[in-house]
Amino acid sequence: MNRAMFASASGMAAQQQNLDVVADNLANADVAGFKGAQATFAAIGGSAQLGVASTGTRENFAQGKLMKSGGAFDVAIDGGGFFRVARDGEPGFTRAGSFARASDGSLRTSEGWTLTGVHLPADAVDVTVAPDGAVRVRGRDGKESTIARIALATFDVPEKLRPIGSAVFGATGASGHARVLAAGSDRGPKLAFGMLEKSNVSIVESMMAILSAQRAYEANAKGVQAADEMLRIANNIHRS
Amino acid sequence: MDGIHLMATALHAAKARLDVSAANLANVSSDGFRKSVGRATLTRDGLVASARIDTTPGPLRRTARTFDLATAGTGGFFVRTPGGATVEVRSKSFDRDARGHLVDERGNVLLGTHGPLVVREDATIDARGDVQEAGTIVARIAVRPGTALQSGFLESANVDSVREMVDVLGEQRAFETAQKTLAALDDERQKDANDVIRIKG
Repeated sequence: MNRAMFASASGMAAQQQNLDVVADNLANADVAGFKGAQATFAAIGGSAQLGVASTGTRENFAQGKLMKSGGAFDVAIDGGGFFRVARDGEPGFTRAGSFARASDGSLRTSEGWTLTGVHLPADAVDVTVAPDGAVRVRGRDGKESTIARIALATFDVPEKLRPIGSAVFGATGASGHARVLAAGSDRGPKLAFGMLEKSNVSIVESMMAILSAQRAYEANAKGVQAADEMLRIANNIHRS
Repeated sequence: MDGIHLMATALHAAKARLDVSAANLANVSSDGFRKSVGRATLTRDGLVASARIDTTPGPLRRTARTFDLATAGTGGFFVRTPGGATVEVRSKSFDRDARGHLVDERGNVLLGTHGPLVVREDATIDARGDVQEAGTIVARIAVRPGTALQSGFLESANVDSVREMVDVLGEQRAFETAQKTLAALDDERQKDANDVIRIKG
């Protein structure tokens, strides 16, 4: 009975974890640039059938839909790659291109991540970003100039990036180092100014995942109950 | 074998079958998991439980990741294990590594018709296993003939939780029945023993 009980308990723990991940996806369904994750599981014990264990989560880096936004400094990536950002010296990588102009001329996300390599001059009144990442500003005197080019980053194995903010990721040993990815070429990603990438979370799919996780949790709880009941019967084996 | 021992083996068999159902239920969310089916057989040593793996394919689940591969049909595709063996699998989730190989979480490498497959990030895979990069076919995944590949899908566990729940109930009752019978036999014996003493007395 103990094996059955532990197997069922491991199943309950797995579904709990499953639910945590789905809930996190749902909570961030409206966060621009957010990438949904999925918990993965595998059987343990081989033929001994000891139950299930989590094998981690997988980020889904599928492109979210681009939508027109009202932000003056919003940029979306149409294609692969990440914006390079930094906060307190810690580098990060994100596809959430909703920036605001900070007092020092840098572009910041609402979580305080600063876009690397872009500083707007104090007299810039109009800013645009070309598909190849070139940042053009128009000064008060009406003169236009290119002040920077947004560099995108890419990784050998983006699935192994580690989430360090709601839509910000950090490099890991398994993901490899960030490599520069040029925007604007024929096959490369393009930057879409005035647009934002919606999260790639499907609310309907997440709701279905919640329902099935809940039922699977209940089924495993019944497994624990059955094992417990059988132990009770075994303890009263002499009673007719 | 006397009745009490026979019932003891029945208790063991019911417990072993519960172990199987519980492990199946626990893995209802494990992609590619194949359930075991427990059964009890009456032998000269009483009831003996055994389990065999049910290889019926599970339903396909859409993941929308290009390098998640599943198959429709009887066969599968091939991966090379870190030990160098070639294994046929029916569904796997791959990531591209630094060399462009497609590798699963256990380090198995996806094989094309000419050894390990090398792909670009933006590659697409069609039902025949042809790998396309920017519209041209650059490689082909080694697929058993008569099998269609499904890129962007994974095979779910083939566990039917309703059926497993019914099995759990059945096993619990089988256990209970065996216990009741055992207790009844024990009562009988107790009576017999007492009656023997009474006759003597």
